[in-house]
Formats: sequence, C-alpha cells, structure tokens
Amino acid sequence: MSHLQKNLAKAKISSARHASMAPPPPPPLLAAFNEVDEDHYGASSGSIPNTPQDDDSSSASSVSSTGTVIPSPGRALFARPQGFPNRSLDPIPWTTYFERELFLPSPDGSITYHAYLTSPAPAAAPGKPPAGPLFVMHHGAGSSGLSFAVLGAEVRKRLPAAGILSLDARGHGLTRVEKVGKGRTREGHGQDGDDDDDDEKREEVLDLSLPTLAADLRAVLTLTQEAMRWPALPPVLLVGHSLGGAVVTEFASSLARSSPFAPSTRPTGLPMFSGTRPCPPPPPPAPTITTTTTSPATTTTTTTPASAGPPSPIDLLGYAVLDVVEGSALEALQSMHAYLASRPGGFDSLRDAVEWHVRSRTVRNAISARASVPGLLVHRDEGAEREEEGAAAAAAAAAATAAAEEEESIHEPVRVRGGSGGGGRRNGKPWRWRTDLAKTQPFWEGWFSGLSKKFLTGRGGKLLLLAGTDRLDTELTIGQMQGKYALQVFPEAGHFIHEDLPEKTATVLVDFYRRNDRSALVLPPKVSELLAQGKKV
Amino acid sequence: MSDIDRAIEQLRACRPIPEHEVRELCHKARELLVEEGNVVTVNAPVMICGDIHGQFHDLMELFRVGGDVPDTNYLFMGDFVDRGFYSLETFLLLLCLKVRYPDRMTLIRGNHESRQITTVYGFYDECLRKYGSANVWRYCCDVFDYLALGAIVLGASNTLPSAPNRDDVEVEVHSSDGRIISRFLGPSESQGRINGGAGSLGDPAGAILCVHGGLSPLIDKVDKIRLIDRKQEVPHEGAMCDLLWSDPDEIDGWGLSPRGAGFLFGADIVKQFNRKNNLSLIARAHQLVMEGFKEMFDASIVTVWSAPNYCYRCGNVAAMLELQEDAGGLGVLARSNGDVNRSDGGLAGGSASWGQSDVSLPTKKKGPGRIYHVFQAAPQDSRGMPAKKPVADYFL
Repeated sequence: MSHLQKNLAKAKISSARHASMAPPPPPPLLAAFNEVDEDHYGASSGSIPNTPQDDDSSSASSVSSTGTVIPSPGRALFARPQGFPNRSLDPIPWTTYFERELFLPSPDGSITYHAYLTSPAPAAAPGKPPAGPLFVMHHGAGSSGLSFAVLGAEVRKRLPAAGILSLDARGHGLTRVEKVGKGRTREGHGQDGDDDDDDEKREEVLDLSLPTLAADLRAVLTLTQEAMRWPALPPVLLVGHSLGGAVVTEFASSLARSSPFAPSTRPTGLPMFSGTRPCPPPPPPAPTITTTTTSPATTTTTTTPASAGPPSPIDLLGYAVLDVVEGSALEALQSMHAYLASRPGGFDSLRDAVEWHVRSRTVRNAISARASVPGLLVHRDEGAEREEEGAAAAAAAAAATAAAEEEESIHEPVRVRGGSGGGGRRNGKPWRWRTDLAKTQPFWEGWFSGLSKKFLTGRGGKLLLLAGTDRLDTELTIGQMQGKYALQVFPEAGHFIHEDLPEKTATVLVDFYRRNDRSALVLPPKVSELLAQGKKV
Repeated sequence: MSDIDRAIEQLRACRPIPEHEVRELCHKARELLVEEGNVVTVNAPVMICGDIHGQFHDLMELFRVGGDVPDTNYLFMGDFVDRGFYSLETFLLLLCLKVRYPDRMTLIRGNHESRQITTVYGFYDECLRKYGSANVWRYCCDVFDYLALGAIVLGASNTLPSAPNRDDVEVEVHSSDGRIISRFLGPSESQGRINGGAGSLGDPAGAILCVHGGLSPLIDKVDKIRLIDRKQEVPHEGAMCDLLWSDPDEIDGWGLSPRGAGFLFGADIVKQFNRKNNLSLIARAHQLVMEGFKEMFDASIVTVWSAPNYCYRCGNVAAMLELQEDAGGLGVLARSNGDVNRSDGGLAGGSASWGQSDVSLPTKKKGPGRIYHVFQAAPQDSRGMPAKKPVADYFL
C-alpha cells in the first residue's frame, strides 16, 4: 500500500507522463513506459481513462453503458477526490498488496487451491486465534483473487488489524483442478488443446455449481487455518463480488441452516456458527501445504496432523455482497453471450489488456486494473515461451510463471466464441482469457436463483453494495424497506465497485465490520435484567 | 387567488412550480418550521400517514380517501421523497399545504429527508432533471433540516363512533370507499401481563407519540427529544439518527439494526417507554408493511405505511391511521407549535404518576380507538411513467 501512496503522490507532483518510473518495489518491469503507447492510447480511445472521480462529465451511472440517460454533474457529490489519473499501464505485482500466496492442496488431492493472504493481527496470547478479523474475499466469474488487491490494501489502511484472504475460485486464477470429472487426470504439457474435441471434453467436467464453490470456500478457510497454524479462525467477514456474492451468501446460509441454534428471531446473529456442511472430505493423513511467502525463499512446508477433527466453527460476523441481485442478474443473463462476444478474444500483451479494461470502462480505476487484469489472462504458450514474451508482465505474472510448468488443463486458454478481436487461436493474440465464461453457462441460473431469499435469511450482518438502485429486485426492495439489511449505493461506480472505488468500498466495509464486531458491541441493558437487579423501570 | 393557492392548484395537477417560487415557498416554510419544537403537539382528530416516497398519484388517492386538506387534519411521518418518480411534486405540495394551513398539516422528518440519502435514491436526480440545476434540491434540503422530529397527539377518543355501545371494539379497518372491512377487539381483554409486570402497557388514555423510525437508547423521556439540536443533516449516529432509523423487533431489549444505522428495540423497551411517558401508543412508519399497517407488542406500537405498491412493484396496500376526537371536549386546547403546552402526561390520564412501577391498572384498559383506512395504488394509466430501465450491464 505504501507503493500505492507513493504512486499517487508521484502522480500528483509530476504529470502522468512520469509515471513510468513509478512502482518502486522490486520486480523487473522491463517494459518501461513508452510514450508511443500513450499517444496511441489517447487517440484510439478518445477519452482519458480516469478514476471514476475524475469523470463527472459523462453519465456516471452504473447503467450508463446501456444507454440510460441520467444527468449527473456533481453526482459524486460526496466523493473524495481519489488519486490522479495514472497513465501507466504496467501490471502491478500481487506482492505489492498481499503478504503471501498460499497453494493449498485439498486432502484428497483433487484440487489445489490458490489464495492470497495478508495475515490479521496476531493473537493476544498463544493458543488463541488471531486478534484481527479476517476479510474473506470471493471474486466473480471470470475474475480472480487479485480483483480485491487494492481493496484489501485500503481496508488495511483503515483497519490495520484486519487480515485479507482472497482466493481464486476453481477454474479461475491459479487454483488448479487436478482431477476433473470422472477421475480424469489432466496433465497435458504441450497439448495446447489444438483440437476442438479436446476442448469439448473439458467443458463437460469442470463443476462450477454453487454448492461446490461454497464448499471450496469452506475448504480454503480450513486449509488456511492449518497452513497458518492458527488454533482457530479469527472472526470472519465474507465479501463476495458478483458470482462471489452468490457464493458467500450460499455459504452463510448453509452455516445458518446447519446451525443448531434457534433461527432468525435474532437478526443480529449469534456468536458462533459451526458449519456442519463442510464439504471437503475428511482430511487423510498429511497433505502437504506449501506456503510461499514474499520474503525471499521462505517456502515452508507444513504437515497437518493426521485427520484433524471436524472443521472448526466459523465465527461469522457478517457478509457483504457487491453488485449482484437475483432479479437483475437473471435478467442480464440473456445479454451475456452478446456481451462476451463483444470482448476481445485475446491481447498482444498484458499492457494491452489493462488498457482495454480501462478504456472500455470495465474497470474504471487504472491502478486496480493494473493489479487485477494480469490475473485474468494466460499466455498461449506455456513454459519457456511465456517467460520470454511475458517479460513485460513477469512481475505481475510471477506467480503464474511459478505454476506454469504444472499449469495446463482447465485453465488452458480457450477460444472465446464469436470473439471479435481474436480470430483463430493459431494466428490470434498470445494473451487469452484464463476462464472461458461462455462455457460456464450451464451454471449461470443456478448461481443466482434464490439468491435474494438466501441473502435475507442468512444470519450475521448483511451488507449489499450496488452500483445503482435500479438493480434491486422486488424481494430485496421489500427487504430493504423492512430494514433487513444495509444497502449502500455508489452510482458512480461500474460493476467492479470494489475496483472502481476501492477507498469508498473499504470505508463501508470497515464500518460494516465495526458495527458487527461483537467484541466491541455494548447494548443498553434489557428491562428484564434491570428488574432482576431490583431496579425500578 | 393568492400565489400559494395558485401553486397548490398547479402542484395538484402534478406540474412543478418555477424555481423562484420554490425558493420563496421554502423560505416561508422554514420561517414556519423554525417556530415548531422538535416534538409538535397535535390535537385529535388527526389522520396519521406513513411513507409516501414520491408516489404523487397515490398521495392524491390518499387525500381522496382521507379527505381533503383543510377538512382533514393530517400528520405525515416523513419519507416524502425518493424512489417514486414525483418526489418533487409530492414534497412541494405537502409543503405548500403546510404553509397554507399550518394548523391542519404536520410534517415530521424521515430518514430520507437528508442530503446524503436523496443523492442516492432519486430526489436529487429528479430535481436535476426537472430544473436543470441542483438549486431546488438545495432549497428543499434546507427545509428538511427544520422539520420536526416527532409529534404528540392529544385528546384521542377511546371509543369508535360506529360502535358506540361496543366498548370492546378498539380497531376498525376501513376500505377506501369507507366500508368497514373488519373490527378487532382491543388486546387488553385476553392479554396477560408479561413478565410479572415488566412490560406493562402505557397509559391507555395517554397521548400518542408519532416518530418516523422509533426509539433510541439515548432517549428515555419524550422531553429528551426536545433537547436535540435538530437543525442539521441527519447524523450517522446518536439520538436524532435513532429516532429516524430504528425499528421495533421481536427481541428482548436493544439490538443492532441490520440497516446499518439506528437500533432494534423489543416489546419491553416500548412498554417501558410508554409507561414512563404516559403514552398509549407509538405510531411510526419507516418499514414497508404489506398490509399497510401492523400493530405490535400488544398494540403498544404501530407501523403505518402509506405508499401502495411501493416502487410501483411491491404489491402492498397502504394505510393511514385515523384517531378521532375525544367526546370529552379535550379538543379545545389550542394547538401549540412550540414547547408551550407540551405534553403534560396526556391530560385525561394525567393522574397516573410518571414512571412509577406500580400503577394499578384499570380493569378495562383500552388504547385509543383506531381506524385504519386501507387503500390501493392509484390507477396506472394516469401517470407518465418513465420507460423501463434497460437491463444492467452485468458481468457474472
């Protein structure tokens, strides 16, 4: 985060042109900033990619891109100026934002989860769980754990005790499914999937259904606890964006369902939930957990005790859902293929990809795009070639490279159907989407159906953060007006609220945490207690 | 015809008045409102209404069912703006009526009467769309700061005129054409005292407190509301925030409101508060109720919701609460806008001592007679609704 601050400060002092020298920390940002690119940038886009606050001229509404006209000068009335347009498009490595990355093989070896972690404040006494709360982030479909990089840093600025755990869902980022479907093990070095048959076979097998993803989330929590050797999990606050919002909601409501405590008369929730719906099969002896920290060469390997007991209870303070609502999500599904087809099929470089995201206003904050976009793409050629070509991105893709040798199978880049920019794979651009969203279609409805109801009935604090009030469906409109959850709307943000407005989102999340932090909450006494003390009421 | 009458005519036709007139109106309204205390005293008979949320045509329906101003004395419990498409016309009309008939119209503040909330939920955008500048929004927000925080209704009758010989009937529900849909007995007959007296009811003949949201842990006496410096934007916490944000809930004591502001409060809190303050009932709005109104905790608190088919799609009916004048002739009290003549314990029941724990309950205790007028949304065709919004541009 100091990096971010420096960067911003620098941008303020000099104009954006000098930003090339920006990111101070380590990595080999070989591709120095290049003015040609910038010119090209301005010319081709015709608009300057700014952080949203700088843009008060065009309709800043979340739905602006679909043509609603909402007059908006001064829309961001209370927005604080945040940063300066930073024109550098070089990827920013994850090490800037997270303390370490974790590769967490599941006990049965079917999947290796990947997650980024910044630890919460350590325990007050040995044998206790960490003192700080743990913000657990789940990204949306087609995104990756790095989507929360900037947000996580902003949360830590406001709440230094907080920990951030941002995972890659299966089929995304660096989480790797070792065995898919009917026990098929995919280990195809150099297969590169040149024939369609191969693609088709793969597309049958990756299970992205909601219960599976929620189970993955549970597993990552358990495995992280083991890897970090926490005696118990710290209080958890779930944050999910888009599909991730559906996942955390499913997870929270599965905790509520399985909880033995009396149901929802107490919306404030009870202190402990013990999830008995944990999905990972009982851990067989000694799975290996590899922790790669950012400090040089501290790769630790821990061995977990043989078949640990039941998964530890989760102290869930609340869950926050970012910009997803059942009604409007299901509506939007119809146009999803058209949207996917309009995306470029590939990019020449990671810088191009960052540029596209910023220019298309998919991600409206260049800094966040530089941190998150590299995680969305994978180079056509694994291994050696990637290392050469991807030099520019080496820093950002360091993690990816580390895993590249083993990496293949599911994440192998796939053709985006009807991708306009791409053309065929052979003559196409080298950087391709890591996740083929079109292939996830069988799961789309299942992700969002019943979401509103689950959201309202789960226990713990509930926060819904939207980019526009018109996204509420009827059920949540009623729920909101009955005061069942907290709603925050940032009309000036796009779908990636947390990337577009990391500072404001972080402020809201930290307030949300403070409000739901039971250790600090002191309510006035109940009347019956006063009576018991012999007081007159 | 005076300017104000002309403005009222124009607004009744759902046409906004020019900016300079808005400025003048808001100025006059502020002069009027600044004289009011934080808790306004209102005498029965009165028609108590909940959230309107810019649903102008439904407000017209409300006036049709409840009677026109000034023939009917109205009390609106806030949330005039946001969400509906005619927040501007709705609020300005209510404000015009307030200026024209100050003694027949009482407006108190809701949580949506705030700068921060209106920028997000529609009123700000609407002003911008209709005037091309935010000036009108600013004038209105300045008025918001002067709105009272609550009201005390005095002199409400304990009997219902339609059932003069039926002492036990306490609640009537009327349809929009005036027919009686149903009658309820008061809760007092069957209800036992809870917790050995912990939650005794308030004074059955006491006053009625009207507030947008609910109670605050910082407020144990109505008089403490009077001490708040209200002329400000709604704060994020504290007594003023709680009054506008809190909700009653089936819990013991106080709880955290899931809304992110205010508190939840249980039956014990309400009953204790009512007894301490010689109140018979708390009327509040703030929460959507599909049936239009909802009595809770042995009828010690009621939620009134007056926006039918909220957001043009929630499918709920609306209601307003009519309290009738007590035949005992207590209605002769002059209306007070200030702190003079404030609640002295609800007059009729004034003999019950304040806050004493051992009030001997009358054998037949009744709250005020309550008539709920239930009404539906105005017919759809008369309104020029903006075109349906396009589908959100979603990722997955």
